[in-house]
Amino acid sequence: MVREVSESCVESLMAEIVSSYCRGIYANKPELAAPRIESIGFQVGHRLTERYTMDRPRFTDHLEAIKFICKDFWSELFKKQIDNLKTNHRGTFVLQDNRFRWLAHMSVDPSVETSGSIQDPSAMAENKAAQAIGLHLYFPCGIIRGALSNLGIPCAVSADISNLPACSFVIRIKA
Amino acid sequence: NNPKKSGPTLNETFLGLLYPTENYKVYGYLTNTKVKFILVTTDLDVRDADVRNFFRRFHSAYVDAVSNPFHIPGKKITSKIFAERVSTIVKSFGLSSAS
Repeated sequence: MVREVSESCVESLMAEIVSSYCRGIYANKPELAAPRIESIGFQVGHRLTERYTMDRPRFTDHLEAIKFICKDFWSELFKKQIDNLKTNHRGTFVLQDNRFRWLAHMSVDPSVETSGSIQDPSAMAENKAAQAIGLHLYFPCGIIRGALSNLGIPCAVSADISNLPACSFVIRIKA
Repeated sequence: NNPKKSGPTLNETFLGLLYPTENYKVYGYLTNTKVKFILVTTDLDVRDADVRNFFRRFHSAYVDAVSNPFHIPGKKITSKIFAERVSTIVKSFGLSSAS
């Protein structure tokens, strides 16, 4: 018996988490909102790994675990796999999703280029848009960090949105 | 902390019989998340397939129990539902009908 939830509910919940923490609970201290959201993601990722690795044999090394995140784990969460995986073979991995599902319904305004006349305000506006989107990525970064942590791989995860709608997650494994 | 692995697959979750003693049999199971299940039974007639089945069902109950957002990872599981499920699994251990 599998219970299902509509995806629009999940998306609304995500958006509201960001909104509540950034503009409500931590309105006076916005820098506290991000780690809080990320740690909620951490708890979720931690539990999800428990569930999604249930029927699998154990991973032999870090690369196997990362590949699990890219394929099975990503498919369970986002109905697709990671499109591109890069590594420097020294503990850093870059997971690129060319169309990140949780950003798919957010308006990304690429037209905020500098019009030439007023440099500063439009650059600021573009920065604000990027910042706003960035807020929505703390949760998935937390999920990845929690998932890997439960597989015995402590790491730091950050997101790179310089190439929307593609989104890259950078995993740095702690030695 | 290296239990004897009797199976051919090196990274299987089921570790098999860890060591026999006079009165007990001890079986091990190691998950991907480094959680260890140890089954100690006084039933010396137990079959491998039964133990594997037991661990599979127990693992499923365990995953559901730790998915509880109010459960603190690392602390004791306090869920009554989990206790009931385990009780059912234990009671049907060794019976030929597996679900």
